[in-house]
Amino acid sequence: MERLDRRLGALTATPMLVLLAVTFLAPLIVVAAFSVMPSKVFSLWHQPDFSAYAELLRQGYWKSLAWSLGMALASTAILLVLCWPLAFAMAKVYRRFTLILTVGVVMSLFVSENIRLFGWVLTLMKGGLIEGYVRHLTGVGFDSLLYNVPIIVFGLVYVYLPFMLFPLAQGISMVPDDARQAAADLGASRARILWEVEVPLAAPGIVVGCLLTFVLATGAVAESKLLGGQVVVVIADEVETAFTYGQDWPLGSALAMVLIAIVGTIAVIGVNRVDLDAIMGRRR
Amino acid sequence: MTLTLTRRSFTLGSAAVVGLAATAPLSRAQAMRTDRLNILCWEGYNTDDVLGPFRDRHPGATLRAESGTSDPDMINKLRAGEVNVWDLINVNQPWARGQLYPEGLIKPLDQDRFLPYFERMLPEFTAPYPLAFADDGNLIGMPQRYGPFSFVVNTDKISRATAEEQGWKLFLDPAMTSRFGILTYDNWNIIHMCLTGDLNPFKPIDEAGFETFQKTAETIFGGAKLRTDDLVAMNTALINGEIDAYFTGGTYTASPARLDGLTNIRGITPSAGPIDGKGGVVWIELTSLVNNPDPSSLAADFLEFVQEPEISKAVGFAEGTYNPVSQMGDPAVFDLWDAEELDAIQWDTLADEMSRSVEYDVVASYDELSKMYNAAKRG
Repeated sequence: MERLDRRLGALTATPMLVLLAVTFLAPLIVVAAFSVMPSKVFSLWHQPDFSAYAELLRQGYWKSLAWSLGMALASTAILLVLCWPLAFAMAKVYRRFTLILTVGVVMSLFVSENIRLFGWVLTLMKGGLIEGYVRHLTGVGFDSLLYNVPIIVFGLVYVYLPFMLFPLAQGISMVPDDARQAAADLGASRARILWEVEVPLAAPGIVVGCLLTFVLATGAVAESKLLGGQVVVVIADEVETAFTYGQDWPLGSALAMVLIAIVGTIAVIGVNRVDLDAIMGRRR
Repeated sequence: MTLTLTRRSFTLGSAAVVGLAATAPLSRAQAMRTDRLNILCWEGYNTDDVLGPFRDRHPGATLRAESGTSDPDMINKLRAGEVNVWDLINVNQPWARGQLYPEGLIKPLDQDRFLPYFERMLPEFTAPYPLAFADDGNLIGMPQRYGPFSFVVNTDKISRATAEEQGWKLFLDPAMTSRFGILTYDNWNIIHMCLTGDLNPFKPIDEAGFETFQKTAETIFGGAKLRTDDLVAMNTALINGEIDAYFTGGTYTASPARLDGLTNIRGITPSAGPIDGKGGVVWIELTSLVNNPDPSSLAADFLEFVQEPEISKAVGFAEGTYNPVSQMGDPAVFDLWDAEELDAIQWDTLADEMSRSVEYDVVASYDELSKMYNAAKRG
């Protein structure tokens, strides 16, 4: 009876498994297969030669990879510091105001990322909102604030703020007030409560927030294109160039595979370190 | 009553949804067979001004037009199996003859039906236009929009005469450091960087040539203040004085600013250059019939429809960018342009600029040049 039950269970799960295999795994397998093909071929019926990976090392693509990972790391760290107090207030202090804040932040997601970034271009460019007003009022103008690395990191922080804020608030809400109170009663300082009580208990939220922002920021391309004037070329841009202007699908696939491997490894390590069930609402 | 959702009932529900979703394409596929037209094109052909009148004439037809972001991007789609999806493709002139036709992705046009249209085109196209034909003599595409494409300056800062005379060397001048931008239309930049280094990009390049190209690319990327693939951002930077010129551009990119009254933004064609004395390049779009195994009879009808005067104007003056069309040789088409619109497309110097430009073509040593270009871009 139990065996039949299990078989029925497997049978009902089949459509889901097929859907996952087709929509999630199949494209990845195709990209992986293309990445080992010889340069500039457009089908998978060739002898694999892994030349795209060799090309990747020869052509200095590591620079783009390093820029992407570095800027993603910087923006994730900035977001963590920036969002912690806000998330804390949302989870523990604001009560009904939290809803207003949530709606406000979520509403920003209703507008396309490119349009929001172009809004910043109009604000920061020479003759834009800031420089234009300063020049009008003081008579002294300055160069645009765009086209440098810090402004790209600013763009990443701006665009991915909600992806850090909400998981963090969720994580902090899991810290029981009693635990903090007890620590305070036992004489722990504010910093020690943060470090030894709040951070460990809110860890699932921290990890999810950091992973989301880091993974998204690593693959981000609009910020460097619009705000940064491509002062640095990010890895996602290289993938796009390889597939389009380069007409080299194997190279594009190899670049994508390297990115997937790095980001995937970081994600697996991160996820393994925390109890994700806790943040999904299952208390133990 | 308790409201519980077990894993099994959730999976069962999902399975039902997946099952329904799986049958959806069947009904859509049936709808596609009756009357449909799918166009893969540069922006312009996908506007309501162009598609609207065609829809009115074919009320039962499903019409879809998608604009691409680059020629190779659109060609990739056909290569990836989308020949089954598209009926028409509109890309720049070298691809039809060089890649699409040899690879069997497009098919010949009926010469009896389409050749007469060449007679009413501008003199450059009446011969008729050679790149519209394959080596086997078949007509493989119809030309429409075109434009010289070299670089753009703010004539308040750099006069047209100076820019034309200095030509591409303008961007190697140390005095121009941080005063220009690079529009990252990469395939164009490779052509233009060859021209800057006095190389002919359409012939194979030797070792010395590669060295020159590399140095040129490094100098230009090193001197640029900004890079973007967004022509609006580039024009904005030119208008607000952030830069005085941008590398790679022409009527196509300067026209939106010019129509807004900023006629100091001007596409420049160098007065001299390394290819038979010419230094400018011109693009000419060709629209071809995709070799769709399930062809739509509307495809050829649409190609004929866009030759009509009002529609030619709508294609040339679609939202975004404004461009001359080969059909302007017909007075009925030309009369639809007013003085401001003609000024936006630099009509006063257009024929002259065309005579100083060579045809955009497939770059002979593209792979090696592309690697050097991308390495220079990376810095």
